[in-house]
Amino acid sequence: MDIKDKIRTAKSTAVVAGAFCILISLLLLLNYVQMQGSDPLESTVMETLVQRLAFEPNNEQLKQEIRELDLLARRAYFTSIWQIRAGGYLLLFASVILVVSLRIYHSLLSKINKPEEEDEDQLAARILSVKWISGGTGILVFVALFAAFTISDPLEIYFARVPDDPEEPGSIRQITISDAPPRTDPVTEDQTAAAPDTGHEQMQEETASTPSPEPAAPSGPAGSATPAASSAFPDENTIRRNHNAFRGPWGQGVIYHESVPAKWDGSSGDNIIWKVPVPLHAYSSPVIWDDRLFMTGADEKVRKVFCFDRHTGNLLWEASANSIPGSPSAPPRTTDDTGLGAPTLTTNGLAVFAIFGTGDIIALDMDGNRLWAMNLGVPDNHYGHSSSLLTHNEKLFIQYDDQNSGRILCLDVRSGETIWDITRDSRVSWASPLMAPVNGQWQLIAKGNPIVAGYNIDDGTELWSVEAMGGEVGPSPAFGGGLVFAANEYSKMVAIDPATGSTLWEDNYYLPEVSSPVYSGGLLFIATTYALVACFDAKTGEMLWEYDTDDIFYSSPVIAGGKVYATDTKGTTYIFEVGREPVLVAKNPLGEEVHTTPAFADGRIYIRGERNLYCIGQ
Amino acid sequence: MRLKTTILAFLLLITSGPVLWAQQQRFPMPEFESGYQYPDAKLPGSGSLAMEYFDVGILVLLLAVTSWLAIKKRSRKWILLLMTGALLYFGFWRQGCICPIGAVQNVALGFSDPTYAVSWFIIALFLLPLLFSLAFGRVFCGTACPLGAIQDIVVVRPVRVPVWVRKSLGMFPFVYLALAVLFATTGTDFIICRYDPFIGIFRMGAEFHLIVIGIGFLLVGMFVARPYCRFFCPYGALLKTTSIFSKNHLSITPSQCIDCKLCKDSCPFDAIDHPTDPKVIGKMKDKTKHFLLYAALIPLLIVVGGWAMSSAHIFLARANPDVYLAHLLVRDPSVMEDLDNLDVQTFLGSDRTVDELVNDATAIQATFRSGAWFTGAFIGLVAGLFLVSQFVIRRRDDYQPNRGDCFSCGRCFKYCPVQK
Repeated sequence: MDIKDKIRTAKSTAVVAGAFCILISLLLLLNYVQMQGSDPLESTVMETLVQRLAFEPNNEQLKQEIRELDLLARRAYFTSIWQIRAGGYLLLFASVILVVSLRIYHSLLSKINKPEEEDEDQLAARILSVKWISGGTGILVFVALFAAFTISDPLEIYFARVPDDPEEPGSIRQITISDAPPRTDPVTEDQTAAAPDTGHEQMQEETASTPSPEPAAPSGPAGSATPAASSAFPDENTIRRNHNAFRGPWGQGVIYHESVPAKWDGSSGDNIIWKVPVPLHAYSSPVIWDDRLFMTGADEKVRKVFCFDRHTGNLLWEASANSIPGSPSAPPRTTDDTGLGAPTLTTNGLAVFAIFGTGDIIALDMDGNRLWAMNLGVPDNHYGHSSSLLTHNEKLFIQYDDQNSGRILCLDVRSGETIWDITRDSRVSWASPLMAPVNGQWQLIAKGNPIVAGYNIDDGTELWSVEAMGGEVGPSPAFGGGLVFAANEYSKMVAIDPATGSTLWEDNYYLPEVSSPVYSGGLLFIATTYALVACFDAKTGEMLWEYDTDDIFYSSPVIAGGKVYATDTKGTTYIFEVGREPVLVAKNPLGEEVHTTPAFADGRIYIRGERNLYCIGQ
Repeated sequence: MRLKTTILAFLLLITSGPVLWAQQQRFPMPEFESGYQYPDAKLPGSGSLAMEYFDVGILVLLLAVTSWLAIKKRSRKWILLLMTGALLYFGFWRQGCICPIGAVQNVALGFSDPTYAVSWFIIALFLLPLLFSLAFGRVFCGTACPLGAIQDIVVVRPVRVPVWVRKSLGMFPFVYLALAVLFATTGTDFIICRYDPFIGIFRMGAEFHLIVIGIGFLLVGMFVARPYCRFFCPYGALLKTTSIFSKNHLSITPSQCIDCKLCKDSCPFDAIDHPTDPKVIGKMKDKTKHFLLYAALIPLLIVVGGWAMSSAHIFLARANPDVYLAHLLVRDPSVMEDLDNLDVQTFLGSDRTVDELVNDATAIQATFRSGAWFTGAFIGLVAGLFLVSQFVIRRRDDYQPNRGDCFSCGRCFKYCPVQK
């Protein structure tokens, strides 16, 4: 083999090896792209199946599907890994051949050339070197000094600002305790008047029979509930005159005002007393105490409580839920249809309490001054926390179910200290609790997945529990006629006797997904996400009527003035008579989307739309 | 054709990069609901003592044989074979760890931390190449170093790098060395290992940026021979220093140089010193003032370097995991609720309190303050010496390998027509 043959052979080998390398590289790249493009464990299908499993833990077929998909993913992954490793070795081998053949090729072509004269001025090169070395050193010094003067030492101030007895993260940080006396605004007769109609009469009877429990002193911190402070809490009549929680007093969805507007039009301004822009978006509903209307707003950056003069719409104050120990620097991920401000706040006339999707809870006095604030721990909730607050005397109830466990807390409204904190046999839910009198004692009734249960408000003891729910529990329970009602899409609707914990009837023909049911006059009303309102006999579960509407319902129906007020997501409020026949009293458009539940005052309805807050009345 | 083949090689190396990266994907552990207990994670045990003896033995053998081949036998062919063997063994078989280059950090940490025991194996790896370079030049770079070997093999069409570029970039290995020692002595990180550009190739998998850097070095190395060895290797800075004083260094000619100039462009690493031009020597005499000026500046450079680096000690200390975490928690305590922050969650799962962490971080920062001063002072000294050396010229009458830069690869042998 002469030199030309050797050169030709080396050249050919290099070309073949190079082509092989490129081919292997392309195949490996293709494999890689496929792996990147299809990650079965992150697929929508897998996520959906896993989410379903959370709500259907005993579904063996679903488990098998997940196992098979998981096995498929692992097989695909490890096969790809094998392919990449094998391909990598092939590539390495071919690269060696390529490099060797290239070297041989170049060495065969190379020859010792005739030496040339010196072509670089040694002196000039040295001078240039001095410049570059000096420049490089100068750059190093500059970078070091720049870093020195732009980066401060945060540790210098650490011990200066940490108190001797630093609070643990997440612990209660009491800012101040308000001893402000309750408001003593005079109450007009009509505010305390009961609704005269049939449905409301029934409710009145029930309410009349409602005990007026003065719960025993809670097992909270010694000295936390002084007699003077206890006497400041509003009585039940005062609460009935206000709309202090999601779905009104005690969260039951029943309003005790007689005079309620029945006709308005947001677009034309008919019977719209005022409307103001919502300062910060959220899905929480407004609450009312005396002359003030409160609501929350939240986004990725801020969480706020707003207070309006409900007569004029003027913003009286706003307070930020910031600088709360333990609050996450980055808010948890939530979906757009829930966000960080879905829970509705509550008030007892002495203070306002608000909770956000970050787990931050804040207490403000009626003038917006912070009383206390704390973080309950970031809820592990894939949509976002949405359970609203309830308060009763010195207690603040928080339903705090998340992916880790079911949980209900009771805090002292004056200090934020924990009165009781229970975990319960339930998974994540989005429903809000209500309070109802059972056997002469107030109970806290809360839905979850799968239980509907009643709790002793003094110590959190579970008094009864029924496993009846499934899926994603969004609607809150209802109470009336001595019964508890719970309904949920993809599950069923049940009527439970809380005295015995027994289920009276169940049905699954029409079910609400977000909107909560409401009881009045022996009837149960639901509003669904397939755009209809339905009425059932509360004792038997028989469906009495249904009414097709123009849009779906997220807002919960409310009983007011003997009528059912149900607002769909387009903002149209349907008003029905409480009766066994479907009687549509009015259909009132607002002109913008509504996902919240209206708040009621005497002669007024307040609706929070997507963009504006409306005051409706004459 | 040469251009085409070179382009082919480019394409190969570029396209293969992401492939290696892809191997870094990890698969989550399966989820069981049956109470299955995951086995405890196990770390690979330390290598056997026999293997350590064997590695040291191989290294000594390689260094000794290379010295003999470079100085006595003068065989480029055998040096190339030894280099290939070392690449396969220390590179692909032993996967590039532990090597004398990284051992610098172990030794430095051993000096600063009394609780850190440096094994004789590491000390041997660290010292042997230095001792051999003191005696025979950089024979370690010639064959035994897998990082040098993989670059040496891909040298296809080397170009001459201008003197001022070589001189300027030649300072960087000393800077790198100083920083590596600083980070090692403060227990922060072994940055030489973390940013080893070829470890991903030896192990057939690494983080994406390391693969890219490794491929980049090899691509550049096809034209600028051994770029990592010449302009980055911190251990090379030490070897260069000791090799300058080597007594029995490789020579281009086996006998008397006849000044035929045939070898003048034979070294792809520009490591052949040419005979000194008498005119240049004359001009350099005029530069005596400059020499004195820069010599006088050395103390100033030391002080400025020390002050500047010491001032930047907070910035440097943030590379330390404890300092980084302490800064994070102090600046924003709410990060403790961020479940996605694994650093924070791992810390919260430990027994340490924030106070303890901050105390430890404060102590580390203090160490950095003094350590950075020495680092900066060292860099200032090196810069000063590099500057002064530009005004020092030694008379040479023939072509000689530069004892500091020569890798003892033996490429120049065949260019010399002189026989023994």
